[in-house]
Amino acid sequence: MVESITAILTSIGFPSPEAFIGLLFMVLAIIGAIIVVITFRPLMEYYPYTYPNARIRARIGSLFNSKQISEITETDSSEEMKNYLRGSKEYAKYIDKFNMEKALDTNLAETSDLLARVTPKTVKPVFEVMLKEWDIKNIKSVLIAKEAKLNEEETMDFLVPYGELKDIQDKLLDANNVQELIIALENTPYAKILEDALPDYNEKGTLLSLEAALDNYYYKELLTKSSSQEDDNTRMLHNYIGTKVDITNLKIILRAKADGLKYEEIHNYAISAGYQLREWKLKELMEAEDLNSVLSSIEGTVYGKIVSEHIPEFNQTNSIAPFEKALDQHERKVADNIFKKKPFGIGPIVGYLNKKEIEIKNLKVISRSKRVSGIPTSEIKDMLL
Amino acid sequence: MAAEMALGTALAAIGAGVAVGFAALGSGIGQGIASSAAVGAVAEDSSMFAQGLVFTAIPETQAIYGFLIAILLLVFSGIMSGSPLSMTTGLVAIGAGAAVGFGGLGSGMGQGIASSAAVGAVVEEPSMFAQGLVFTAIPETQAIYGFLIAILLLVFGGILGA
Repeated sequence: MVESITAILTSIGFPSPEAFIGLLFMVLAIIGAIIVVITFRPLMEYYPYTYPNARIRARIGSLFNSKQISEITETDSSEEMKNYLRGSKEYAKYIDKFNMEKALDTNLAETSDLLARVTPKTVKPVFEVMLKEWDIKNIKSVLIAKEAKLNEEETMDFLVPYGELKDIQDKLLDANNVQELIIALENTPYAKILEDALPDYNEKGTLLSLEAALDNYYYKELLTKSSSQEDDNTRMLHNYIGTKVDITNLKIILRAKADGLKYEEIHNYAISAGYQLREWKLKELMEAEDLNSVLSSIEGTVYGKIVSEHIPEFNQTNSIAPFEKALDQHERKVADNIFKKKPFGIGPIVGYLNKKEIEIKNLKVISRSKRVSGIPTSEIKDMLL
Repeated sequence: MAAEMALGTALAAIGAGVAVGFAALGSGIGQGIASSAAVGAVAEDSSMFAQGLVFTAIPETQAIYGFLIAILLLVFSGIMSGSPLSMTTGLVAIGAGAAVGFGGLGSGMGQGIASSAAVGAVVEEPSMFAQGLVFTAIPETQAIYGFLIAILLLVFGGILGA
């Protein structure tokens, strides 16, 4: 048999079986290397998400299901609601430490903090920006508290112990006015943002100018940091962030137009960047004569169908609440789709973030409703997302 | 003739290397993926330690199959026994090694991904343990095919019981 193999190999030009075996190994090695590279590429995209996704899935399991939310809605008082939350691992540690709003915000901030720590480096900058939301919220709380002349202890009730500024919260509390707050925020990006918005604040005398400037910075940073097109995960995250920014802008414009505000009064408060709604489109929407013109202008965009389905309801109630609810549901749908499309990548992270935000919003709605006596449970349930 | 015999044994040695090398590569990658998910799960819920360990251990089997075939090749190829193989049998040994090695590579990686998903599912919903285990076991079949073919090659290729 060996002789016949040798004869065949010699007849096709190989001087010896060893030469053939050598060539065979080289070919096999090249094919093997190609297979390994092709197999490893998707694996390398997936691998960095295994640890964060396991942690996130554990937290998804701790989210309240619709039955539990219904039970919380049916509690008789704020105290009973607190008792219910004491039974949850997620909320128990904050519920007796802080007031209800701060406890819920702190829980959400803890989620942002976790995501900023455990997410893979390709998407980490986005979640680090998301953590800044709590710095911005804290600065806004200090501004409002100073305006309302609250003392330090009362102001502390609104500050969330997360974010980059958590260590200088005492300095923020010591500030007596916006100028002093700017000095306290020295060496942070917020000092310049507030300084730039100061003339508008001085002219109009409303904190809205400062708050809008901070929001503008936050959302623009989110869009910029998420714009990396490195892989499917970063693209999908950008899609989610972009949708979030567009929806925030649409809500601002819809509310402003419902209040009859003109372009000059709105443009400082809307986010001057968008995803599907580019700057020219945002300008067109803000320049629209009235709410009906805004609705017609939205029809040409990806949000047209979402909004137009609720026009009859708007005509009946004259409230923009159905549009806001539909837009929130659209954001949820985008997050759910990413969850399904990338179950081993960014999907669980985006899905959880959205679910958690909705849970906190719903718990806040229930908590506020419980503080006002006489709101029927069915009415509270209608307000939930 | 002596050179040809040495070549057969050398080929069998390469077969043994391929068997354990690629199977262990797949198994290692799979276990790495599964264990990082298990660490994440345990960080959130310490009661997940046992389940995490079970799912992390599952992609170990591919390396065991590769290791077994490699041991058989080493024992029967003449490296350990001193009775050299022919070149043809040496090529059969490479086939056996490649079967279990590449079978284990794909199976190990697949099982690692399935294991990490199962860890995620169980930490989210503890009642998913049994279903997770079933789904995780499915990518084992490719390694079993490779292992069976490797055994058949060793038996009928004149290495085992020659």
